[in-house]
Amino acid sequence: MSTEIAEVAQFLKGTTAFQSLGDDERAALSRRVEIRYVRAGEAIISAGDHNAHLFLVRSGAVELRLAGQELSARLEAGSAFAYPSLLRGGEVHNTTCALEDTLLYAIPAEQFHALRATNAGFKAFFAKDETRRLAHAIAQKRADADYNLDRHEVGKLIGRATPVTCEPGATIAEAVKLMCDENVSTLAIAEGRTLAGIFTDKDIRVRVVGARRSVDDPVSTVMTPAPATLSIHASASEAMALMARGGFRHVPLCDESGSLAGILSATDILSAIGNNAIDTGMAIAKARDNGELVEAARRIPESFVAMVKGGVHAGQAMRFTSALGEAVHRRAAQLAEGRLGPPPCPYAFVVFGSLARDEQLVGSDQDNGFVISDGAATADLAYFEALGTEICDLLHECGFVHCKGGIMAKNPQQRLTVSGWQERYANWISRPTEDAILRATIFFDMRCVHGDAQLSAHLHDETAHLASQNPLFISYLARDAQRSKVPLGIFRTLVLEKSEDGQKVFDAKGQAIMPIVDTARTQALAAGLTQVGTIDRLKALVQAGKINADDAQSLEDALILVNEMRIAHQARQVARGIQPDNKITPADLSSLERDYLKDAFRVIRDGLDGLRRNFAGGIA
Amino acid sequence: MIKKWRFERALGALQKSPHEALRSFAASDWPARNMPAIDAPMLALDFELDGLTKDAHLLQAGWLECDARSIALSTACGFDIKSDARLKSEAVVIHGIGEQRAAAGRELGYVIDQLIAALSGRVLVAHAAMMERDALRRAVKTLYGADLPIRAICTLTLERRLNPNLVGADAYRLGPCRARYGLPPYAAHDALTDAIAAAELFQAQLSRMPRDTTLSQLEC
Repeated sequence: MSTEIAEVAQFLKGTTAFQSLGDDERAALSRRVEIRYVRAGEAIISAGDHNAHLFLVRSGAVELRLAGQELSARLEAGSAFAYPSLLRGGEVHNTTCALEDTLLYAIPAEQFHALRATNAGFKAFFAKDETRRLAHAIAQKRADADYNLDRHEVGKLIGRATPVTCEPGATIAEAVKLMCDENVSTLAIAEGRTLAGIFTDKDIRVRVVGARRSVDDPVSTVMTPAPATLSIHASASEAMALMARGGFRHVPLCDESGSLAGILSATDILSAIGNNAIDTGMAIAKARDNGELVEAARRIPESFVAMVKGGVHAGQAMRFTSALGEAVHRRAAQLAEGRLGPPPCPYAFVVFGSLARDEQLVGSDQDNGFVISDGAATADLAYFEALGTEICDLLHECGFVHCKGGIMAKNPQQRLTVSGWQERYANWISRPTEDAILRATIFFDMRCVHGDAQLSAHLHDETAHLASQNPLFISYLARDAQRSKVPLGIFRTLVLEKSEDGQKVFDAKGQAIMPIVDTARTQALAAGLTQVGTIDRLKALVQAGKINADDAQSLEDALILVNEMRIAHQARQVARGIQPDNKITPADLSSLERDYLKDAFRVIRDGLDGLRRNFAGGIA
Repeated sequence: MIKKWRFERALGALQKSPHEALRSFAASDWPARNMPAIDAPMLALDFELDGLTKDAHLLQAGWLECDARSIALSTACGFDIKSDARLKSEAVVIHGIGEQRAAAGRELGYVIDQLIAALSGRVLVAHAAMMERDALRRAVKTLYGADLPIRAICTLTLERRLNPNLVGADAYRLGPCRARYGLPPYAAHDALTDAIAAAELFQAQLSRMPRDTTLSQLEC
């Protein structure tokens, strides 16, 4: 005879409260459970009673009524209740009734106290501290991930111990012979161990043979000088993002002293994880015409599903998807320039919103514009009109559909000179109105993806500074953020709206992600910080001493957690061929995930409350 | 009335049995027939058999104490029963108990003694209780040559009363019955799990009946 009651132990394992116990503890506990069936409407425990059990809803639902108040909470399968009375020694303050016909597991008080004494995780759960519980959940998820790219240093992935190098003064013939002898496709050109450039098989084809160069010329004349490098301590995910974004397959690695340590190839990463995100990045960068670019861009959702299936976690999936999106935008601009000829004056092709923050998932629309040099002549503007139209229509074909709000370089108000943009931002900042702010917040998340990055960087810095000097503007931002309805009732219940088909859903983007993004943006602009990514902003805010490190960590945890759910949801939709959306049905989540979600909403609500107190004058 | 007379006559016969297990069964306190069912001590029981015929062998037994208010898992017992009989392949597929496991179980005599002790003074509750009752009586007859009187409540019979006229062969099976009361689905065909499932169903059924419903109104 086994000690475990299998059905019960199995159920305990799936609940948040008992998840932290070991299998043995759950097996032993399953024998101490008493089962009770309660009909809808019946009281389970009443205020004033003495209670000696921790209750767990096995099926059905119960209602917790707070003594003396018109408040109540609905608890469903997997939720525990009545523990506050156990912590008080048994005195019951809140009446709990069955809302539906309900099956309960009652666990004797002595078991509850014994587990609290011996198991830190169990005790922490019943400490009722949402932020600590959330941090615990994230740590757990990270530990469970199949392969964590953030934990793998690229220095450990490279196959060769010492890189094959060649002096810049060597001839092309010597360099090529070295490559043949050593059987490498990429050669590091270095003086001693100081990297000067790289020279690849492709360079032999394009820059030497194709250009009919003499093989006696110095290799330094045909190498790629000053290539992008990474530290050997960089993570595999950073390297993947860099490759996907740049459309190249080799990255030189440098050690602590800055000297060359090796060459990381895409194959090194692929052999470590197996994944097609880099291939998609290559196909995008190599696209020779619109047709090829569209075809490559259409592979992004598939790469996304492959990443999620491969155990890539939310932060990484977003980073890669954003990197691929950025590559499509850049290639679209290059192809358009190729057809229209070089731009008549410097300009920056900028993106706004989630792509600018590196937080994009599949199925996003496009938000972009041009920042054109003030030196542009009136005649030049016609070029940018044609360029904007070409790029935006091509992006539309690529799956970045036209922006409903018209935030696209094909529209004249999105093609402004530097001073034109300065004026537009100054207008938002110094004369804010509720309506204007509603539509303008997206513009404060801006990044250049092609062209002269200096133009937009300068504009962005100036804007952040101006914003920090205008408390009225910040108060409008803080109030605007309060529009998000955090679907959390008192006592951690999800308060959801019904979708068209009658399902109760929550909008993961609108109700969870955006409030976090808004919180970080408002705080960052108030402090005059120029970071754009939400997590970057939170980190910078902590460094600047503007917010508490624990609060920032909790917001980051909440962002990652909801994104995990959202990404899993979208990956399922993409795999089924459905257009991905952000409407998640809590019924699709496990009771564990629902509990974490409630913790996340609590953190989000605290973040918004902080904004209201500090910046909105408490009025929103 | 007749039921009561027959039960007591059979108990009387057991009082003189040479077997201790049967004597103490006969000597226990039995709940009065007019006792409200919500106050009565019960024992939920389930057997897994290797067939539906009269000579079917017991493969597994699971039981636990329960009453109208609480089902105490601390009293739960589940045993695989040792059997030399070749198992009939179709039943084994259903229950997932292979010959090897059946051969590794407890002796039938041990399990039946434990069960008789647990059932002393309690009313048996099972879904299709006739099967459990007949199998237990047969086992006792084989082991001790005695007739064991058993008081039983059948949740299937109660369900036919509470929800008559349901259509379909499956409507009165344990799972669908439970679903009508909002009880969760369980993995079927583990004797202890089925015993727990029957106990929960009985609590749910009782919650639909008048509070003063007596045992005699429920026993079959």
